[in-house]
Amino acid sequence: MEASDGSVVREVLAGDSERYRILVDRYRERFGRYAVALVGDPDLAADAVQEAFVKAYHGLATCRDPERFGSWFFRILSNQCHDARDRVRPMEDVARLPLPASDRADAAVDRAELAELIEQGLAMLTPEQREAFVLKHVEGHTYEQIAALTGVGTDALKMRVHRARDTLRTALGERL
Amino acid sequence: MSDDRRFSPEAHTYMDGAPTGPLSEADRSDADRLLQATEAYAARVLEPGSALTDAVMERVASRKTGRQHVWRWVFEPQPVRFRPIWAPLTAALLLVLWLTVGRGPESAPPIATASVDTVFVQFQLVAPEASSVSLAGSFSDWRSDLYAMDRENGGMWSLTVPLALGEHHYQFILDGQRWIPDPTAHAQVDDGFGGTNSVIVVGPRGVVRS
Repeated sequence: MEASDGSVVREVLAGDSERYRILVDRYRERFGRYAVALVGDPDLAADAVQEAFVKAYHGLATCRDPERFGSWFFRILSNQCHDARDRVRPMEDVARLPLPASDRADAAVDRAELAELIEQGLAMLTPEQREAFVLKHVEGHTYEQIAALTGVGTDALKMRVHRARDTLRTALGERL
Repeated sequence: MSDDRRFSPEAHTYMDGAPTGPLSEADRSDADRLLQATEAYAARVLEPGSALTDAVMERVASRKTGRQHVWRWVFEPQPVRFRPIWAPLTAALLLVLWLTVGRGPESAPPIATASVDTVFVQFQLVAPEASSVSLAGSFSDWRSDLYAMDRENGGMWSLTVPLALGEHHYQFILDGQRWIPDPTAHAQVDDGFGGTNSVIVVGPRGVVRS
């Protein structure tokens, strides 16, 4: 039977630091893709995730509800990823980026080029829009799940996702 | 592509995966392309591998969590760094103290000093909708089960607790689940983990700042 977050946190606080590996594995798998998509660079995202786990470890005694370690850790990770993204990538003007397949707007673009377009387009979004869009469309969460993670209401989340889609449609234009 | 770059509400509902009314051809085409592109992007996003777990464990293996660290620091011998230049200055200071305070019966009787190191502080919160309210903070090691507050008239919850002199951070817990800062606190600070703590400063004569 899988150990609950609360029991693992209590074991770590009691001195069995090796048990922290369970939480790291669990939430690396659960939030790792989110971090990579949000930061936009796999190596920098890995650094951000690592820092978030180390920071969470040292602040573990302040995790007020160990059973909800995941939500608590997500907020640490989110801050870490936003900081990393801010440091490495200024907003880009997608309109100045090269057309993906050729200079013909009706050219068929393959999946890799479409993926590249989204990666470039994410840089055009505000941090809040980017996070909501990533959780909704990259991670495939429902609005209710995103609300539980972020603490933001579903109406506000829908607005962020809608604006992100509109921004991507506008920014990518015929490149889409 | 459509000239109007904003999707219609129906198109957003469509992209949310919910049933919706008819879409314009442009909206449907762009929505499908955007979803297709996002799916292609999502497929190539990979989580950091298990090497990250090893890296984290290597960094934390030699260091304790906050709580363990404090206890260890209290009970274990700690190295003390001392600059030699301070030695004569420290000796001079001790001599002056001995001459002015610590001399025999001819010196003035010591002034009685208050040994107040704890002050009783009353916390209050108006929360008529709550069925229970408790108080947690740095003074309770953030345990939520130590200080249950008492319900008074008008939805007011109240509790008086002894606090050591100094600065304390705290929050209220409504119904055992919802952590909120004190709306009447003079200062709120980020707790470093995405939450907000209220701040209270206690001096020998009571609450200095809350």
